[in-house]
Amino acid sequence: MAKLWAIIKREYLERVRSKWFLIATFFGPIFFSAIIIVPAWLASKSKATSDVYNTTILDATGTGFGHRLAVNIAGDTTISGRMPTVRLVPPSELTNAESTATQEVMHKEKTGYIVVDQQTLAGESARYAGTNATSMADMTQIKGAIRQTILASRLEKVGLDNEKMKELTFIPLDFSTERITERGRAGSGMASVLFGFAIGFLLYLSIVIYGQTIMSGVLEEKTTRVAEVVMSSVPTDTLLAGKVIGVGAVGLTQQILWIATTYVLLKLRAPIMARLGAPTMNFSLPDISLGAGVLFLLFFLLGFIFYSSLYAAVGSSVNSESEARQAASPLMIMIVSTAVFIQPVLLNPTGTTARVLSLVPISSPIIMPIRMAVTGVPPLDLAASLGFLALGCAAALWLASRIYRVGLLMYGKRPTMKEMARWVSYAR
Amino acid sequence: MTEYAIDIVNVTKRYAQHTAVRDLTLRVPAGSVYGLLGPNGAGKTTTIRMILNIIAPDSGMIHIFGRPSNDPKITDRLGYLPEERGLYRKMQVRRVLKFLAELKGVKGKDADRRIDEWLERLSLKTPEKDWGLSKIDELSRGMQQKVQFIGTLLHDPDLVILDEPFSGLDPINAQALKDTVVELKHRGKTVIFSTHLMDNAERLCDSVCIIARGEKVLDGTVTSVKEEHGQRNIALALDGDGMEGIASILRDQSLVKRADDSNRFFEIEMAPGADPQSLLRRIVESGAAVQRFEMIQPSLHQIFLQKVGATGIEEGMSGHG
Repeated sequence: MAKLWAIIKREYLERVRSKWFLIATFFGPIFFSAIIIVPAWLASKSKATSDVYNTTILDATGTGFGHRLAVNIAGDTTISGRMPTVRLVPPSELTNAESTATQEVMHKEKTGYIVVDQQTLAGESARYAGTNATSMADMTQIKGAIRQTILASRLEKVGLDNEKMKELTFIPLDFSTERITERGRAGSGMASVLFGFAIGFLLYLSIVIYGQTIMSGVLEEKTTRVAEVVMSSVPTDTLLAGKVIGVGAVGLTQQILWIATTYVLLKLRAPIMARLGAPTMNFSLPDISLGAGVLFLLFFLLGFIFYSSLYAAVGSSVNSESEARQAASPLMIMIVSTAVFIQPVLLNPTGTTARVLSLVPISSPIIMPIRMAVTGVPPLDLAASLGFLALGCAAALWLASRIYRVGLLMYGKRPTMKEMARWVSYAR
Repeated sequence: MTEYAIDIVNVTKRYAQHTAVRDLTLRVPAGSVYGLLGPNGAGKTTTIRMILNIIAPDSGMIHIFGRPSNDPKITDRLGYLPEERGLYRKMQVRRVLKFLAELKGVKGKDADRRIDEWLERLSLKTPEKDWGLSKIDELSRGMQQKVQFIGTLLHDPDLVILDEPFSGLDPINAQALKDTVVELKHRGKTVIFSTHLMDNAERLCDSVCIIARGEKVLDGTVTSVKEEHGQRNIALALDGDGMEGIASILRDQSLVKRADDSNRFFEIEMAPGADPQSLLRRIVESGAAVQRFEMIQPSLHQIFLQKVGATGIEEGMSGHG
């Protein structure tokens, strides 16, 4: 036990003392709070850009609709240059006018043009063409302005005066969303999706980083032959266990520091947002119970054990960093293909894909915590997921320890899959 | 049982394509310096790894100081220097040494004290500079080798196992290693090392074992190996007078098997079991002026070549045996 402790201590202290750990621990929370603050900040900035003013309205209605639309697009402002140009066009000339407007856009004189005609008056259709056609905010702004103008002209027909009309059509709606789980209201919907994403990303990153840390550590011990000295003092299983526990403890330390500082930073979010000049949204942190927190850490630990033991096996079977990268690619594929599913699972956390992926040990350490973050998970699912993952860990450790103790002593060419399979069958 | 530091009986270790060690039996007396000799790929490293319990034999028994080699209590009494050396490059020297000490059950203040002693002894710690506080990769190669010796000996092992210890050593460190081996022997420790450099083995070892192709070719004390496997010849040179007394001595069949007479120089093959010392005494008593009396023994090198031959290096085997 004293020797296992010596190995754990070395793995832990040498890594925690490194500059890399300090840097990552310091920048991690900044990075993660940026993930949450930046979208909020961007959302607050997601008003239409000035591009919408630099447009041409081709008005084929013959009713002055274009001028009203221009005013509506510009909003209340009357600053010159902030209003679209209106061009009155007879319906028969519309094709020519459109090609002229297209030329203008191509020569970068304008951002785009809007076509309004009889169908627009009838509330049926309108068209926009321009370089910013993919900008959601710009298009929403223009579309809203057109609706507003149609509504205004209809109300005018019924005989409402201008002031009354403005009063009736002005609706500054602030639409906030909130998710409800079995435990009740759970903060805003966006917050929990972001939170789920952050959790998934954090787990993904940690597993990759610490898995590769273990792999390089094993490789260093093998290439420097320290492994032989250590193996002459302790059994290989103790060495492997010490590495996994030591590096896992480093990961856990970092996660706890990250979570704590991120939490503090998010508490201080309002002043930070105010500094950035963004309005503070009504944005409450998802309410994570202590039990859920413990489960997250449990999934991290099990996922870490699963992947890091396999990474250790890879590290022991190769002779150089470049070989290691190549040999680790199956593991990378397993992790990256899981990461690919983070978004679909966030969008549909109760679907079949999400449920299956949260049972398979390869993906469950990342997918299950995401599901837990965004939706309620039945206890049976949780238990099954943990059970399979624990079994997966046992299998991975068994396989890894057998490859590890042979691989560490094998130099020369990289083993084939067949040779590695034979190593597993060696007694010792 | 405990008179043997290492007692290997009928040990065999097979790998997929070849047998690394075949039915090996060897005994290393406690307190001796023992050489494990053999060409590359002969099974030396495999044997050493089995002694260290890094790998287990397929069959046979290994006892260290009378206990099975997989007894956890034994590992703390062993010190091991692997063939290719290296340490954690980014780690501080003291911390590496402390880690290695802890792996051998030496802890805390005791470890610190021993580290200081050794660093000072190998002049890695002087009033001007304490290399113990540097990182391994800041040290020169020679200094790194010193640190590795310290790591091997820090826990004061009773059995020191050195795999090809002289390869890659500069002359100063090689001398330091020889001095250390001799000193360990004087302190009653057992040292076993593998080498293919016969000169070192001949000068340092009490006993040797030559293995080739995973099998023992011969073993025993250096003296007995030479006696059994080399001719015991004597070169005798005389000055001028007193030749007549010599002739009768050389005809004594109980002493001399054959004498090659080149007038003033004789190469004498001793009779089996005869003592060269009594031959010398007889010659001196006869009044002859002895200019040279030398036992010419073939070197271990010659015995090795004769016994193992150029074919001892198994083809297709790479690196470590």
